[in-house]
Amino acid sequence: MTGPKKRGCLGCSFPVLIIVGVIVIALVVLGFITGAIGQNMLSGLDLPEWLIASSPQPHLPAPELFHVFGFPITNTMLAGWITVIVLVVFSFVVTRRMQIVPRRLQMLFESALGWIYDVCNSIAGEVNGRRFFPVVCTIFLFVLFNAWLSLIPGFGSIELVKNEPIPEDAQIMPSKEDPAHLVALVDDREYEIATVDGQDTIVVEEELIRGSNTDVNTPLAIALVSFVFVIFYGLKNARMDFVRQYVNFGPLFRSIGRIFKGKFDFMGIFEGAIQVFVGGLEFLSLLIRNVSFTFRLFGNMTAGEILLLIAAFLLPFVMPFPFYILELLIGLVQALIFSLLTLVFVTMAVTPAHGAESH
Amino acid sequence: MNRWAAALRLTGVGFFIGICIVGGTFVGLWLDDKFNTEPLFMIGGLLLGLVVAVYGVYQMIRPLMNNRKNKENG
Repeated sequence: MTGPKKRGCLGCSFPVLIIVGVIVIALVVLGFITGAIGQNMLSGLDLPEWLIASSPQPHLPAPELFHVFGFPITNTMLAGWITVIVLVVFSFVVTRRMQIVPRRLQMLFESALGWIYDVCNSIAGEVNGRRFFPVVCTIFLFVLFNAWLSLIPGFGSIELVKNEPIPEDAQIMPSKEDPAHLVALVDDREYEIATVDGQDTIVVEEELIRGSNTDVNTPLAIALVSFVFVIFYGLKNARMDFVRQYVNFGPLFRSIGRIFKGKFDFMGIFEGAIQVFVGGLEFLSLLIRNVSFTFRLFGNMTAGEILLLIAAFLLPFVMPFPFYILELLIGLVQALIFSLLTLVFVTMAVTPAHGAESH
Repeated sequence: MNRWAAALRLTGVGFFIGICIVGGTFVGLWLDDKFNTEPLFMIGGLLLGLVVAVYGVYQMIRPLMNNRKNKENG
């Protein structure tokens, strides 16, 4: 028996659709008026300052917030720690009461991790896949959560305001936006000047937390972990075969040795020299891998962050929305690339020389 | 899934080519600066970087070409 057919569209009744439509249109109008595009076109509007989207000032080096035992603590480090805490709490909550018939959260994690485990097995084989899974999965989760947590509102919008003495290399000059107002220019950034206890200081506003992947040090650290992981397993499993991939003087020395026995083997020496060259090339590509690992993740994440800032500046509320969805996807793709590349390289390292090429 | 692995390995090709060429040129410039032989080492470094880049890329895609040949031969 079917009930009376409801009228509506996209699974919603008309009143709900109308309300959603009105809200969307209101946001578009508000975004247009308060954003940079509307501000330029409708310059006569005199909106209160808190309603106007301020221009983004992205700068790459992570600012130091405070010092602990002389160690500088940056905002990206804080974000990294938050990621670690979130991951630990998540794992604890999910595994606290494991059931044979999993509940929703457990099922979500089991299917996600199960998928990565299957990928590990299919690329590295049954035995090695099981051994590599923990590191590969940790890299995947850490990169993914770093990327996704930095999309949560509050990352990048909570600011820490502090007064610092004016540096010696600062230039005191009129502000670009309001020439009657004096600001201090330090490293191409304008700072407000305020007087605290009779002393002139600059007002430094720093983001309290910023996505950890947008600091080049975090991708570099993960890349180095992956590098050491590959070398460790390469040396442990393939031993001399692994070293011979990079440093291969054997054929050259053997050919030179034959000269002392009275046999001049020109082709042997030539091929030996080529082997040494190829080994050097392999070593070069091993090192360059770190650079590409680091800058691929850093570049993608930083570009995403800046893209969101610009979108929110040009047309607030509306334009960032599609880019948010894009950023969710990019975070997932980068995490997958980082972890699976580590898996592929460690698999190549443990298989005997050129074993991966012969099948 | 092994196709995935093969494709993933190629994600670093761009960086490899760029760093080889730029690295070769910079080492050449540094040597020129040291021995006052402009532009000899710079051109040499650039050419060496190009050769290394081409050979490196060839090494990287060789396994894929082998796979294809094996498939064509049955």
